This record gives sequence, C-alpha cells and structure tokens, in this order.
Amino acid sequence: MNAATTTPIQSDVLLPERLGDLTGLNEFGLAGELLSTLIGAVIVGSLILTMTAVAGPWAKRKITASFTDRISINQIGPAGIGIIIADAVRMLSKENIIPENADRPAYDLAPIVIVGSALLGFAVIPMGSGIQLADPEVGLAFAFAVAGIASIGLVMAGYASGNKYSLLGGLRAVAQNVAYEIPLVVTGMSVVLFAGSLQMGAIVDAQNTQTLVDLGVVSIPAWYALVNPFAFVLFLIANFAEVGRNPFDMPEAPAELVAGYQTEYSSVYFVLVYLGEFLHIFLGGAIISTIFLGGPAGPGPAALGIVWFTLKIWGVFFLTQWLRSAVPRVRIDQLIEIGWKGLLVLSFANLGLTAAIVGVIA
Amino acid sequence: MSSDEPQQTIHDSTAPSTDTREARIGEGVDDRFNSRLREAFGASPFILTKFDEFMNWVRGNSMFMLQFGIACCSIEMMHTYAIKHDLDRFGAGVPRASPRQADVMIVPGTIVSKFGPRMKRVYDQMPEPKFVVGMGSCTISGGPFQEGYNVVKGAEEIIPIDIHVPGCPPRPEALIYGVLKLQERIKNGESSAVVVKPYELEEFGDLPKDELVQKLADQIDEDDLVMRYNWADSP
Amino acid sequence: MSTGTEPEVESELTQPASGTDEAELEALLGDRAIAREEHLNAPGFVINPNDVQAVLSDLRNEAGYDHLSCVTAQQYEDRYESIYHLKKFADPTDELSIVVPTTSENPVSQSAEPVFRTADWHEREAYDLIGVEYEGHPDLRRILLPETWQGHPLSKDYDQEKPQLVTLTEHQNPIQPDHRDAESDTMFLNIGPHHPATHGVLHVETVLDGETVADVEPDIGYLHRCEEQMCQSGTYRHQIMPYPDRWDYVSAGLLNEWAYARAIEDLADVEVPEYAQVIRTMGAELCRIASHMLALGTFALDVYGEFTATFMYTFRDREVIQDLLEDLTGQRMMFNYFRVGGVAWDLPEPREEFFAQARDFLNELPAKVAEYHDLITGNEIFQTRCIDTGVLEPDVAKSYGCTGPVVRGSGVDYDLRRDDPYGYYDQLDWDVITRDGCDNYARVLCRMEEVEESAKIIEQCLDLLEEWPEDERDVQANVPRTLKPDADTEIYRAVEGAKGELGIYIRSDGTDKPGRFKIRSPCFSNLQALAEMSEGEYIPDLIASLGSLDIVLGEVDR
Repeated sequence: MNAATTTPIQSDVLLPERLGDLTGLNEFGLAGELLSTLIGAVIVGSLILTMTAVAGPWAKRKITASFTDRISINQIGPAGIGIIIADAVRMLSKENIIPENADRPAYDLAPIVIVGSALLGFAVIPMGSGIQLADPEVGLAFAFAVAGIASIGLVMAGYASGNKYSLLGGLRAVAQNVAYEIPLVVTGMSVVLFAGSLQMGAIVDAQNTQTLVDLGVVSIPAWYALVNPFAFVLFLIANFAEVGRNPFDMPEAPAELVAGYQTEYSSVYFVLVYLGEFLHIFLGGAIISTIFLGGPAGPGPAALGIVWFTLKIWGVFFLTQWLRSAVPRVRIDQLIEIGWKGLLVLSFANLGLTAAIVGVIA
Repeated sequence: MSSDEPQQTIHDSTAPSTDTREARIGEGVDDRFNSRLREAFGASPFILTKFDEFMNWVRGNSMFMLQFGIACCSIEMMHTYAIKHDLDRFGAGVPRASPRQADVMIVPGTIVSKFGPRMKRVYDQMPEPKFVVGMGSCTISGGPFQEGYNVVKGAEEIIPIDIHVPGCPPRPEALIYGVLKLQERIKNGESSAVVVKPYELEEFGDLPKDELVQKLADQIDEDDLVMRYNWADSP
Repeated sequence: MSTGTEPEVESELTQPASGTDEAELEALLGDRAIAREEHLNAPGFVINPNDVQAVLSDLRNEAGYDHLSCVTAQQYEDRYESIYHLKKFADPTDELSIVVPTTSENPVSQSAEPVFRTADWHEREAYDLIGVEYEGHPDLRRILLPETWQGHPLSKDYDQEKPQLVTLTEHQNPIQPDHRDAESDTMFLNIGPHHPATHGVLHVETVLDGETVADVEPDIGYLHRCEEQMCQSGTYRHQIMPYPDRWDYVSAGLLNEWAYARAIEDLADVEVPEYAQVIRTMGAELCRIASHMLALGTFALDVYGEFTATFMYTFRDREVIQDLLEDLTGQRMMFNYFRVGGVAWDLPEPREEFFAQARDFLNELPAKVAEYHDLITGNEIFQTRCIDTGVLEPDVAKSYGCTGPVVRGSGVDYDLRRDDPYGYYDQLDWDVITRDGCDNYARVLCRMEEVEESAKIIEQCLDLLEEWPEDERDVQANVPRTLKPDADTEIYRAVEGAKGELGIYIRSDGTDKPGRFKIRSPCFSNLQALAEMSEGEYIPDLIASLGSLDIVLGEVDR
C-alpha cells in the first residue's frame, strides 16, 4: 500500500505524500515514506472509526427511534451523545467470555478479520480534501476483494464459536455473500466500462469532468447513478445483501438465530464484531459514493470534499436503518434465489447493455 | 398446604431455611466492582478512585438488557421498551437476544421448577458485571402463585437480584423507576450482596444419596446437571 | 358434516343443549354405554375404558361430533375419571360428554389419540397431573412438569412438601454430534426456552436438515403455574376471578374472566343484568383488539427483525386501549373487573369523557388499520414470506382441536360468539371472519379483520350504553355471599377468547370451592399443530408459523 510506488493520474496529491512534504519526512527516504504512510493511515482510520463510533451506539438508535416515534437516549450530554463514551467503555470493560468449545485461534481472529477487511478497503477510497491513502490502478478490484474477505471472518466466527446458532449464521453469511458478490462486482464493472479505468481517482474524475445535463444555472454532473440508474439500484440491492442488512439480514436474523454468528461473542470481541458490521456498511457506502455518486464532489470549494463524502456515506447508512425499520426480511432460500436467478442475470444484462452503449458512443 | 412456618422436619437433605437466609446475606463487602489494580494498590489512591467513579458512571449510564420474556410482566416490559415509555431514553433500551452481550437481566415473571435451571444457566452465561432487576410479585415471592406445587417462591432463590419492582404486573412507570434506581445504585458503587442460593445447579452424581436420588438413579445420568426443587424448604 | 340432525336455535342456559336426538345416540352407542350422567351443558354417557376409541370414532363418523374440545381427568375417592367433552364444529351447542371411569388401583384407560390427534397432549396432561394412564398412547410422557417429577400433583395422595429434582440435560456439549440416528446428518437444535422467537418460555426441540426443519417437538411447561390448583383452592365468589387474567396475559383478561364467569353463572344459576352484559361485551372486545394488536406486533417481530416500526406502532395502539381499559377497570392488565353476576362497577364518571375517548379511538382505528395494511400485508416481501407457508389444512386443524383465528384462517367457520351466543353478541350486528388461505398470511389477515369487527361491536355497545336509561343500570345481579352449588354438579362452558375456545370445566363438591377446575386453553390445542405446519419448511417459516399461532405460554402451560 505504499503510495510512493504508484503514479496517480488524479490531480490531487495523495495524503501520505502531502504529510511527508509537510513534516519533512520525505527526506528520510523509504523509512520516511513508510512513516508518513502510517500517519496517514492513522488519520483515515480515526476518521472512519469515529464515524462508526457515532453510528453504532448513538446514531443508529436515534434514527431507529425517529422511525418508531420514540425519543431514545437523551440523558447524557446533548441528545444523549455521551452514550458513545459510556457504551464503548462499558462494553470494553466487560468480562470476555470465551466458550469452552470455541475453536481458537479462529475464534479470536474472526473479529479482527471482520474489522480489518473493512478498514483495508478504505485505503483506496478518495474521500476528498486530498484524503486518500493510495490510488492503485486496480483500486476498485482491491476494494471489492478486501470487502469480500469479511465472509471468511463471518464463517470463522460462525464455526469457531461452538454454537449451533452461530454456525447457522456463519453458513448463511457465506451463502449470501457468494450469491451477491458476483452481481455486485459485475454491476461495478459497468461503471468501469464508462470510466475506462479501475482506478478510484479516475472513476471520480470521469464523473465530475463530464456534465450530464446543462441547465445553465444548474448543471447536473454525470454521476453514474444518474447516467445509469438501473446499475445504481442493482448495486444498492447487492450491497445491502453483501453487508447483511434488511431485507437481507439473514446472518443475524435476531428472531431466528438469536444473534447469528455473533451469538457467543462478548466484551471486546463483540465490540469488534459490532464495529465491523458498521465499518462494512460504511465501506459499502463509500464504494457506492465513489463509483456512483461522484465521490467527494459537491457544490462549494474542493476543500469541502470530505464533508460531501461523509454526507453521502451517511445517506447510505441512513437508508440501511430506514430499511431495517420498515422492511421484512426474506427467507434464506428466497434470498439465494433472488441473488442467483434475479440479480445475477440482471447485472449481466446491464453489463452487456452498457458495453454496447459505450461501444456505440465511442 | 399452608407454609406459615418453615418445615424443618421433612427434609434432611437441604439446609434449613435459617441457614439459607444467613448464607444469602453473605460475609464482607461485595467486590463485584473491585479491580485487581485496586487490590494491588491497597486502600484507595486518588487515580483509581476517580477511575472507579468513572467506571461506575459508565456502567450506570449505559446498559444492554437481555431480551428475556417469561410471563405476564414481559408484556409490560415490552411496553416499557416501546413508544410511550421508551426505556431507551435512559440508555437502557437495547434488548440483546444473546446473554453474552447483555448487562442487565429483567426477570419478568413467575419462575417454576422446570424453568429454574434454565434461568440460572442464562444468568451464568452473562458476562460480569451483571445486574438483575426482579419484575413483579412473582420474582419476589411467587406472588399469587406462591402456593403452587411447581412455583419457585421468588427468583432470588436462584439468582441474586439487585432491584425488586413490586406489582402484578408493575406498571411501566414502576419498571422505569426500578431501572433508574438500579442505575443510581451502580453509579454510587453499590450493588446487592451476591446471593448464596438454596437452589443451585449440581451434578447429579454429587448429590447425597437420599431416597429421591436413589429412585431417580437409573433415569438421570451421573454428569447431568440437576437442581433440587423443594417447595416447603424455601422461605 | 352433521348427520341428519336439526340444530335448534335454543340454547337456554338452564337446560342441557342437545341438538342430536338422545335416543339416536343411545342406539348408536348400544350397550357400550353402561350408564348415563347429566352435565349441565350436555348429556353424558359412561363407557368402559376399553371402548374409548370405538365409541369416539363412531360418534365422530356417525353422529358428527368432530370436535374434541377438552379432556378432563379427575380423581374421586373411589375411582379416576376421564371426561371427553365433544362438540360439533358446525354447531358447538350440540355437546356430549363421554365419561370413562377407571379403578383407583389400575387407572388405565384406552387412548383417544388415534381418533382425535388433539387427545395426544390432553391425555399427557391428564397423566402428568392426575395420573391416569392411557393405553395405546404413542408417547405418554410428562408434559407440564419435569420428566423426573415424583407423584401427580392434582391427585389426592400428592404431598407437595416433598423435594423434587429437576434436570438440565441441555447442558451437554451443545455442538456434539447428537444425530437422531446413525445415517442421517441432521442437526439437533434447541430453540428456547430462552429465545427471542418463542414468545415466552417455550422450548422447541428441532431437528434440522440443513436449513430445513425435519422434526419439531414443542416442549412446554416452563410456565406451569398451577392455575388449576390455585382455582381449586379459591372460593367461587371472589377468589377465583383474579386468576383468569393471568392465563392469557396479553391484555385478554376480560375475555378470560368471562370464561369463568360464564361457567360459574351457569353452574350457580345466576342471571346477569343486561346492562352488565353490554359492558362485558364492550370490555371483552377492547381486550380482543389489544390482544390481536400484540399478535400482529410480535408476528412482525418474527418476520421483520428486532423492534421494527410495525411492532412499535402496534404498541402505540395498545397503549390507547390499555388506557381505556384502565379507565374502565382500574388496572392496565390484570383487570379483575368481572364479578359473578355482573361487573365490579359502572362506567367511569364522567361517562361522556369515557365515551368520547372510546369513540376517538374507534374513529382513528380505520386509518391505523389501513396503515398496517400498507406497512405489513401490502408489502411484497411480507407476502412472499407468508403466503403458502405454515399451511394448516382444515381437516388437520379440526383434528387438532384448533380454534379461534387459527381455525378461521383455515376456512372453518367457527366462532362461539355467534354459534353459542353469550353476552350481548347475538343482538349486535357483526360478522365472523374466515379466510381460506390456510397459511400464515391468512391467519394474520384474519386477525386484522377481526379487529375491525370488534370495533363494530364496541361502537354498537357504546351506542347502547349511552342511551341506557339511568335507573336501569344494574351492574350486578343479587348473588349470595357464599356460593355453594349442589354437590357433583358438572359443567363445561366455553367462550371465544382472543386465541380461540377457552373452556372451563367445574365440578362442585358441595363446598364453596370447586372440586375440580379444569381449563381448556385454546393455545394448548393450537400449539399442537405446530409440527404439522412446519415440518419440511425452513427455520424462518417455523418461526413465522409459531408467531402466526399467536400462543401465550401462560395459557399453554397454565
């Protein structure tokens, strides 16, 4: 992930390089570059983890509450925001129970794999305001690949817990991810056809340099969600299945499988698993924003990019919570059926159509 | 079938009820909150005191409840979570189905002999520090069903309870009051003495070989966990 | 279904209702009937313990008694007795009791299970609590009490003060390969007793083949609170009435109280003032709405996931009803409002305010129901989840003794409020809802439409109450302070509870307490059908089917 090895087409300078220039670390050669990359990674990681911390204990409850006519936490701090600290510290300070039948070290590794895979994905996301750790040529493929690692984490958690509910949850997670990974990637490919590149920066640039409709006062940019709304919807659906949210929250399915693969996790491990879930929602949101919603683009100066980008991610997050409150979950066999017979076919159709159109225009 | 007096004559196998009561109060201060660090540092150094206070504040302000429904009271408990009363306002409204992720167990209903061991098991599955709110008369004494042949006279026979909320069933307001009281106690660093229970899960093989055990010997495996239920024995 | 019998309109409470000609029955039974008994609700035939299957199958096939409502077992000084309470789905006023006495020394009687599937659990319960053994029963184990329990608690020689041992075999390594047989690679899964989808403390022993349910066996008794013992040790006049509230505790209290009130009023020959009947009818229907709302909410919980909007909205509406009921009765859930011969008190003052609030609720209800249809039943995912899952064929439902919305969702037109009228129902204008779907969806729709019918009933009751002349507002009949019905009078009376037919059997023994008090719980019978509905389906469908049965463990276990 060393940023120095790639040559970005994007106009922006990558975050580690800027940090290197800023601190003068670049002068120390490879070690300096490594250090500045690390600092950049810490900054991005903190940013993402802060967002998850706000989302997990607080925003999720507040959003759900507003859908169900409730108030939810309001006692500690303004609008109960202090619950973030309380919840986090309390969960971390609890007794960590490791079941007798747990298959270690898989049991211990699973939460780390779940969290790690999501965090890795953020390395290639251009978040605007010059915050991007790396911009490799195969950025999009990389993001899909690391997000896919999460399935391994889920199945590890599922079977290593020594609990039948966990096992069922883990197996469901895998069946689901396998079924939806392909439509996800294939739909993503249609964007690549438009942009002509797998590089995240290039995809963002391609969306923002062209204009779809120019109305004089307002010009609508050629974000791929507007250019190809069909692909956008397909991608959104596949993404919900990929991150395991309603209506596809089979791996957890609280009413059926207690808590699915996370049934046996307590304390720190549970925090990690819980965090991982939100990280994956945000990673999904980040990928959607980047390849369909113009990434960090928005009105105002370019320095505001990170704000727009965050807003877009939270928009996706909000949508997941909305669906969670309002939509029933499908059955596992129906889910697989929708995946293989519906989405897969549609995504290939979309790819073919896009290829034809792009070919004609070109 | 009156239970006005403890009937000490008929059961040699379990301890008489007076012992039970003494054992329940226990000796010394409960150390559920004490950390190893604190033991190492002795008395109460400033930093650790502040840290303890912070931890108590944290535990008192945020709790995940166990999604645990038993009987009538569970309906009022659901009402307490739901729209009008909204227990989540106090940071205590996230029901988790898995005991591994819960801090507080609200026991909402009558405990009968068959369910006793299961409840004990669920309680044991929760990670420390854990707290229990007994909801309703049945968890206090067996309530209206106390005279029943199958009813455990109060959940405290099996697990320790921090707060009792009386009522049959308690109104949601009462439950909220109970939860707030619990939070207050946790914030002040108080908790109930850990109970020594008259009903305890044991391996069948470990039981004294009385008449009942002999009779059941061919039905129950040596390693099976059992709980002795004695209607007359409990106070 | 009925065989040449003319159902009569009469169902006067004092005389036994009998649609079938008793002479015909006598001819049918021949010399298998060794004696006659008269129960207040039905004629009774005493038969030999060996003839149970033959007699019951003749009665079902020839005389049309296709509903085994309840099996009551009891111990007398000199004998054990099992009573099979038979009815017809076509005409529930046409009742018949088959009494099977057995000796004290050898309490063995033939099982009715091959004729009526519902007898399975009923007889297990009789064995568990009384100690009557049933020959030919496929699986005569304890059902409510732990397997290792000593003695039969409702028999005469039971000593409550002896210690007992309760096992916890579930403690075994939960993932050990516990296949039912050597070849199969199925997985055994304990769902419950503590599980978010069991609506209480039900334990469902499930064998899974992948995600498919291969075998289901509900294990009940985790909330067996000895309700029958409690009622048997209370006096008729006041001490029993608080307990029915706690059978079906989902705010269906008044419906349950009515079951006891109806039985004791018929037993003690008490006439209830009309005004009180109207109040009862109104209160009971409010309870029904509250109960159906909860059923809807928890079903949504099962199908949607945790604490969704639908669930919260149903609770919002329940709060309104509970406020109304609190105004009326003084309590949110455990009302204890009915009295033998009437109700505790009149409507709350100022009456106008109560009427206004009730009418407000009724006026808002259609919009809310429309919202639910929008949110739930109109949702396509919900439809794919629920249509054609958990199928319960009408014949199967009948054989399991299912009642209430469960059987009406299977297209059987059976509602005691209309078919065996009590209260003020027969003078009001409302419809019985039936659905032919036989699936989860049909049952949900059935409940939602019943909510609207209940609203109609309440509206009419409100009109009546508002216009009721002030000097005729008797809320209670004149009932003696101590009720002592004649010894050995027996009655079985049922009302339409929120979940179905809620029946009470009382045998008086000349004192002011019942000699035997038996509760026929609708959920107990309905739950039996779970295996039939969910085998071969997926786990989510098992959960949804369980939700659509709308069981309340307090009533299943009693």
